[in-house]
Amino acid sequence: MKKQLLSIRVNGEQMELAVKPNATLMDVLREDLGLTGLKEGCSEGACGACTVLMNNEPIRSCLTLALEANGSEILTIEGLATGGHLHPLQEAFVEKGAVQCGFCTPGMILASKALLDRNPRPDDEEIKTALAGNFCRCTGYAKILEAVRAARDGDVGSEGS
Amino acid sequence: MPDYDYKLIGKSVPRIDAKAKVTGEALFSADLKFPRMLVAKILRSPHPHARILNIDTSRAEKLAGVHAVVTGKDTAGEKWGVFRYTRDQQLLCVDKVRYLGDEVAAVAAVDEETAEEALRLILVDYEPLPAVFDCWSAVTPDAPRLHDEYPRNINVEVKIEVGSVDETFAKCRLVREDTFLAEEDSYFMSEPYAVVANCHADGSVEIWMPNASPHTKAKALSNALRLPLSKVNVRKITIGGAFGGRSDVFPAEFICSLLSIKTQRPVKLVYTREENTIATRMGHAMLTTHKTGVDSDGRVLARETVCWLDGGAYSSTGPIATSVPFLCHEQAYNVPNVRFYGYRIYTNKPVRGMIRIHGRSFACGVDTQLDMIGEELGIDPVTMRLVNARRPGETTPTGSHVASCGLVECIQRTAEESNFKEKFKKSPPNRGIGIGIMSVQTGFPLGIRGGSQAFIKFHEDGGATVISGVVDNGQGNDNMLVQIAAEELGLPMEEIRLISADTESTPTDAGSYSMISTFGGGNAVKRAAEDARAQLFEVASEMLEADPEDLVARDRKIFVRGAPDAGVPLPKVVRQALLLGRPVMGRGAFNPDVDQSREWIKNPRGQLSQAFSFGATVAEVEVDPETGQVKALDVTCAQDCGFALNPLIVEGQFEGSVAMGGQGGMLGEEHRWHKGHCLNPTMLEYKIPTIKEMPRIKPIIVETIDPGGPYGAKEAGMSVAMSSAQAYCCAVGNALGIYFNHYPLTPERIRDAIDRKQESQGIKTAWDIEPARIIQPEPKS
Repeated sequence: MKKQLLSIRVNGEQMELAVKPNATLMDVLREDLGLTGLKEGCSEGACGACTVLMNNEPIRSCLTLALEANGSEILTIEGLATGGHLHPLQEAFVEKGAVQCGFCTPGMILASKALLDRNPRPDDEEIKTALAGNFCRCTGYAKILEAVRAARDGDVGSEGS
Repeated sequence: MPDYDYKLIGKSVPRIDAKAKVTGEALFSADLKFPRMLVAKILRSPHPHARILNIDTSRAEKLAGVHAVVTGKDTAGEKWGVFRYTRDQQLLCVDKVRYLGDEVAAVAAVDEETAEEALRLILVDYEPLPAVFDCWSAVTPDAPRLHDEYPRNINVEVKIEVGSVDETFAKCRLVREDTFLAEEDSYFMSEPYAVVANCHADGSVEIWMPNASPHTKAKALSNALRLPLSKVNVRKITIGGAFGGRSDVFPAEFICSLLSIKTQRPVKLVYTREENTIATRMGHAMLTTHKTGVDSDGRVLARETVCWLDGGAYSSTGPIATSVPFLCHEQAYNVPNVRFYGYRIYTNKPVRGMIRIHGRSFACGVDTQLDMIGEELGIDPVTMRLVNARRPGETTPTGSHVASCGLVECIQRTAEESNFKEKFKKSPPNRGIGIGIMSVQTGFPLGIRGGSQAFIKFHEDGGATVISGVVDNGQGNDNMLVQIAAEELGLPMEEIRLISADTESTPTDAGSYSMISTFGGGNAVKRAAEDARAQLFEVASEMLEADPEDLVARDRKIFVRGAPDAGVPLPKVVRQALLLGRPVMGRGAFNPDVDQSREWIKNPRGQLSQAFSFGATVAEVEVDPETGQVKALDVTCAQDCGFALNPLIVEGQFEGSVAMGGQGGMLGEEHRWHKGHCLNPTMLEYKIPTIKEMPRIKPIIVETIDPGGPYGAKEAGMSVAMSSAQAYCCAVGNALGIYFNHYPLTPERIRDAIDRKQESQGIKTAWDIEPARIIQPEPKS
């Protein structure tokens, strides 16, 4: 299959890539760019582990063709911390015990970021709706909810470095 | 009494592995990449039961980009079984396939597309055989046999009898028999199974895969690959959940290693979500008949239980899986006269293993039946449980001494905090409340691999590295080890590194599947740290001119108790020890005090586990009788975990347990079938709970300070997982005035039970289900 050119900005870096037309964004990010923070959990858009932000909106990278992302800006979990400092959501997930096995964590944090960016004061129902497409099998979600609340309220301590 | 003056222990410190997980740095097996790495794919049986007549791999082998093809011929028919007497699963099928998905052949190729094309080019001639898909048909005398040496497809038979059951029944105020059925459930751990194998010129193989015991995996692979154990190195990797589903050994890790050896290249095999469901393990379907006799106070005097477990095609952890539902029950409830017949039955379906809420029909059956008896006697559910609850100092029927037990406190506190008795008497229409209680082991007798050992070495700057075989599946075991070492050595957690779960560099450990990581591995690390500290104190005592017994290690300093300002910095002591030629090397080991002669089938007597956790959960639900939908409102859960080393982590275990055990486990999680085909192997069709459905959860940590546990700690969370299923079940029943006996409680089942209720009279279960009966023996052929 003949490759096509993909022009994309990933974690702030503009790049041109030759990709197969049937390659998913997940494949390109994971395999070609080594951004393995996003995970392949189900390959059918159910679990949310492959969530990345495309132009600040959470998308399923397993159901998105790489070429659909042409010209867009992608944020993966690797691009969230800046200058060695964790994002407040990352700090909150660490401090509140919202991380167990960690497989769902990158997708969960990015979905939460998109929520807080468009609605800085979400109530519990709004948080739950925003995260309803991200499965977690370990936590029962209680501490994830707490972490997003804490990030919303700026209630994160000095843990991040 | 415990020394509560801990610096770190008992504190909710953030986990050491969390930062790598929130930044995406943590690598899971499928994330690994090596130069020249090949991709593997497995060809699976399209038949539930068939004889393999011929496999032609010639066309696949010729395809450009294919580097190796393996079939059963490459394996010498090597069979795997958890026990010597249960070796029944060929790691690549040679003569027969026994379920849809059985491994028939595998390829290694340059990429996934080529590997998939190669699979299509492999030609297999099958002779389809008649198949059995449920226990009832499988045990009929003329049923097709899956394994020739197992008549009536009975794979495992566990018989336990203590006391005089029949005589006691005759004296009981009330005896009733009810039957309960639960369908198969699955783990759906977030991470699908993946394995990477990398062989080396020295004949060794490195393997990465999600596992619950690297040392068990390495031993099985060393047997199957016929390599010395020292040349099979299972490496540490981040693991995306286990819940019982990573305990066993799977053909895939053997196949991947074989392909790596054959090609002399690294090989990666990543399962699809569907493969993860059907070709690793799933939960058993289980039919349970409880016959229970009580006195007029509701005290259970005798119980006979017969259980049929649908085991699927192979043994897996069969003897354990068949026994554990009963053993949990005999721990939680003090029943002096018991008879248990457990049968694990082969069917042409995927292989079943242990799962976190193992034995839904057993556990929910016990509690549902207690509520029925309570109604008949006019005794409320809380009293029914208090009357029958295990107390500390008692011995279980099969001979386990219970050193610590906070079950009564768990029941009382969950009942009080949920206001149970009042709500049970008068709740609004279609609202219900239910309680369940449970007990879970902290380890099993596991022979030479039952203990754990640890080492601690120091760096010249005073930092330390802990070396332990304990594996972390996501529950926080890595953090537990470091938190303990830091406490004992007086170091901040940041100055302790951890090497763990690597079979080349770390000593043996019992694995995480018997809930013993904290009790065994934690104790071993504690002892290693105590040993290292004693060595430090020897040197420091000379530097401080003080008695070692008077010294304290805290905040990177060693000082005479009460005089922290006059202490010596710990790094200075480490360097002084090096100068003196007495380098500090801590070592510790722990073997649980269990009866090693205890065996699941041949001798189910003796100390099973050194400690047991106990828990109680109360669930409150609202049911829409029109749709059968259940909304869980509040869950109050308590567990005696001995001592909470890190309350934040323990609460997280409780909350996750409610989600998997109660919310998912009782309200929706089940597999559906058509002639051996699993109809819902993926996350779109198998519904695990989302954040939207979760109730408010109130976790209550109960502490009894177990005499054997590190700082008194024992298993944390499993008793909540299982009692949540019971509580949800009883709550839905209470909301509708129905005693449910077929699980999980899906909207369809609830609707059906409501329809049937109008016809039924008296205290009886919703459905008449054919009981599980004792199967009369037949001579083995």
